[in-house]
Amino acid sequence: MSSIQRDLNLLDSHIRTFNYRNLSRIDWYLLGITFILIGFGLTALYSASQSLSADASFFSLYYVRQFIAFCLGLTIALAIVCIDYRALISLAPAMYIVVAGLLIAVLFIGTEAKGGQHWLRYGPFNLQPSELSKLALVYSLAWYLAAVRDRIQSALYFAGAFVISGGILVLILLQKDLGTALVLPPVVLMMLYAAGCRKRYLFSIVAVGVAMAATVFFAVDKLPLEEYQKSRIKSFVQPDADPLESGYQIIQTKIAVGSGQMWGKGVGKGTQTHLRFLPEFHTDFIFALIAEEMGFVGGFIVISLFALFLLRGIVLARDCPDLAGSLLAVGCVTIIGFHVFVNIAITLHLLPITGLPLPFLSQGGSFCVTTMMCVGTLLSVQVRKGFFD
Amino acid sequence: MKPTANGKRFEGFERRMGWLLVAVVAFSALLCARLWQLQIVDGQVYTKQAEDNRLDYEVIKSPRGIIYGRDETIVLADNRAALDLVLTPALLRDAEGVCAQLGNLVDVDSAALIASVERAIKRKTPFEQILVKQDITKTERMRVEEYSFALQGVYTVARPLRRYYHNHAAGQILGWINEIDREMLDRNKPRYKLGDIIGRDGIEQRYESDLKGTDGAMIVTRYNGSVPQLRTDVHGMPYIEVDSKGRSLALERRQDAVPGKPIFTSLDIELQIECERILRDELLAEDIVDIQAEGAIVVMDVDTGELLALASVPTYDPNIFTTQSPDQQTIIDSVMKDPRKPMLHRAFQTHYPPGSVFKVLLAVAALEEGAIDEHTTFSCGGSFRYSNHTWRCWRPGGHGGVSIVDALAFSCDVFFYNAGLRLGPEKLNKWAHLLGQGETTGIDLPREVPGGIPSPDKKAAAAKRRKSTNRDDFKWYPGDTINMSIGQGMVDATILQNAVMMASVLNGGKRVRPFVNMALGPDVSEQLIGDNTLRIVSAGLLKCVEKKQPPSGTGREARIEGLTILGKTGTAQVAHMSQLKGRRERNVPYELRDHALFVAGVTNMKPRIAVSIIVEHGLHGSTTAAPVAKKVFDYFYLKRKQSGEPGAAPEAVNVAMHGEPVE
Repeated sequence: MSSIQRDLNLLDSHIRTFNYRNLSRIDWYLLGITFILIGFGLTALYSASQSLSADASFFSLYYVRQFIAFCLGLTIALAIVCIDYRALISLAPAMYIVVAGLLIAVLFIGTEAKGGQHWLRYGPFNLQPSELSKLALVYSLAWYLAAVRDRIQSALYFAGAFVISGGILVLILLQKDLGTALVLPPVVLMMLYAAGCRKRYLFSIVAVGVAMAATVFFAVDKLPLEEYQKSRIKSFVQPDADPLESGYQIIQTKIAVGSGQMWGKGVGKGTQTHLRFLPEFHTDFIFALIAEEMGFVGGFIVISLFALFLLRGIVLARDCPDLAGSLLAVGCVTIIGFHVFVNIAITLHLLPITGLPLPFLSQGGSFCVTTMMCVGTLLSVQVRKGFFD
Repeated sequence: MKPTANGKRFEGFERRMGWLLVAVVAFSALLCARLWQLQIVDGQVYTKQAEDNRLDYEVIKSPRGIIYGRDETIVLADNRAALDLVLTPALLRDAEGVCAQLGNLVDVDSAALIASVERAIKRKTPFEQILVKQDITKTERMRVEEYSFALQGVYTVARPLRRYYHNHAAGQILGWINEIDREMLDRNKPRYKLGDIIGRDGIEQRYESDLKGTDGAMIVTRYNGSVPQLRTDVHGMPYIEVDSKGRSLALERRQDAVPGKPIFTSLDIELQIECERILRDELLAEDIVDIQAEGAIVVMDVDTGELLALASVPTYDPNIFTTQSPDQQTIIDSVMKDPRKPMLHRAFQTHYPPGSVFKVLLAVAALEEGAIDEHTTFSCGGSFRYSNHTWRCWRPGGHGGVSIVDALAFSCDVFFYNAGLRLGPEKLNKWAHLLGQGETTGIDLPREVPGGIPSPDKKAAAAKRRKSTNRDDFKWYPGDTINMSIGQGMVDATILQNAVMMASVLNGGKRVRPFVNMALGPDVSEQLIGDNTLRIVSAGLLKCVEKKQPPSGTGREARIEGLTILGKTGTAQVAHMSQLKGRRERNVPYELRDHALFVAGVTNMKPRIAVSIIVEHGLHGSTTAAPVAKKVFDYFYLKRKQSGEPGAAPEAVNVAMHGEPVE
């Protein structure tokens, strides 16, 4: 292919907002890691499904449900690849308003799950607006930061970014969705950091955040949190204060992970999970199942794959000449990276239990789709970055 | 879209991305190191824990707090150990045989039992206990034990079950409990779990958070594939000692349940039972009423507000909510849907027109506000005319010239029509508020109603609410004041409020907050009523009970030799006069008959008590309700003391009287 023809191809891929030809230049490095991780997840969920009762229907098996969600997510991701991400960014204000509307709606007509109002139901569809809010925030901030550019250095524009993020965060907190509320601040901070705002603003925000976290740790009883959230925090800070209820999960998780040793007990042979000692092993604690059944080797491979995925994402952000594209990449990498590190740290008893799923592996339709939308966004930036060279 | 490179990069962007790369590598390394530590360094330890011993988690339910009577040796509600018969499918040698055997021994459906055993095996949960029968009897337990050699895998588990010792007595006050339902569970997470018990009325509901306690838990290490056997000690506390194969287990950790806090009530349960008996049985036996009476009696310590008895008849037995039986639901439904409303406490969960009992309040207000004084006299000719309307006195012939003392003693309506007009509705409202009418008394029991005292503002507001077009509905007329003066019209008060009002007259003009939980302690206001007013009103109320020669006081039937009793009768109209025209009293249909009310108190004994009574459709306060008060005083101060039974030991004291008996 001559260089002129390549340029023409590139040009062609950019003159239309929706162009399926972009799929031919997709980044197989990122997508390949995604497939391998999904493979790990399905294997683990296949194992977990065996402890379901014998009369469970085919579509209630964890791995079947996860596979369906993945196919849906992949379709959406590929569609995102075809769409020019700058067109999506220009729609960000609309996205923001729609998601905010859904978050308000879920407060009134949502279905409760574990003390939080998380779900909107319409027929067979369950929508979790808090999942969508993560991506909407990334796009909105990319839109804002790319528009204000250098002016982010001024306190006024810095505050603007916080108004945008704060609106979503407050709505999430109203739903008492601690997991999502924890993800959003790192995303905001990371995107602001990437956009080059003043360090002392960032540090003061982080300091306030740390002070609040310290309050949570040491004055947890006086906070307006749900009891189950308090007990989770407490059981981490003082494991002996409530050793039995939340502590039980921590002990069982540690035994599950530890007993995996170097090579694991083999897929489907994890006793901790299959004898139901370990609650929630197919969602938030799936890494414990992998560590038990596939051992240190399996756990190491999974962590490494995640690391490679994230590194690739950051390199993409670094190399993309378009600021908006870079910011999108940073946001998506942060969403996935935060989930990965916090979830695994919880499973390995380095952090208190908060209820964050593990991307690509935990069973959960909405979250799987969110993750795949992040992947789609990363891929979409990737296929277009060459144009700016 | 036209392709545009987004201009020059920010300074230092690549450096910042470089830091992110470093961070990702560092975090990943940290996680791998931790994984290495858990799996390789400590792996042996955890593997041993996973293989040899497994941890098992059992919740220990906290026993519900005990409710005591006034005498702290008397238990009103506690927990007994109910034995549940359970089986573990995996341990049955011959499932069908065992189920058939159980069918014979404890009368359960053996086919259904076999089905649930098979279901458990199919569901791969063979070690989870299946309930065979709840709350088995002693005989059933002995039968099962006799055949225990053939019933391997079948055993009993104790569980605390609420027991109300006095059955119907104070049923509405103690309240009832049941298993928490979905809706309440969502509201009370995570303190409550599915299957937990929650109080639904009375003390059980009001003091739920004290009575509940905190669940505990046990973690035991156990052998591979075995099931810990939950047992219960004599106190009903579960423990785990051995597993299903008889091997002893080590208790890793145990966090005992914290039992619910006890509630010490002010209830004198003997007096309570007596009050209920008088209302339910004696009135009918003595032909004072035609059919079994419905009504309420409040007995309150006037100095503290402690409720010694709070009887409401008919009542119900809270045990029906906890005693399992095949027709339990039918029994519960029959109580809940009973048209006589046994679950309603008639002393404070509903209100009645107070009738002439209200005159006590009017007398206090008129004297305090200076509308009348001790010597003010009105002439009663049997009726009272005011702007083309006529209001009758209950005594057709009239009372002649009456002062406030006689007006209270003989319950002269005309006197109070005049006094009410002089006082006006605003000042009357002020005093109603001071003495606790028209607002809740603050009793520590659920579902108290406030009653209502009419005022010009409230009348207009009510007319506005129902979008009335009649101008008369908005305007307050003197006629409204006149009706209000004898406790009719729109005046509504609870029997408990009447007791509180009476207590103020007896205790030196203070308002008390009635209560049943002794932990609350008395809540008494400063003196609200002047000494002079108290002296005059007391004289009238004393004459009402003491005056023997005709015309006698209306409360005459409450008189007991040796007790200084103040009292006021009341008769609350149920139907309009026109509906009753020409009928003799006992020919009036039951549901149209007037309510009989009485409030009274004793001043020369300790403790000083006030009683407030209603006998629904009892016709006259003087002939129906006053004798009830006499029985209560007689029992409380005299009879029980003579028979030497335990309980409050009242004694005669010299109390400075506000007025001498007037004969």
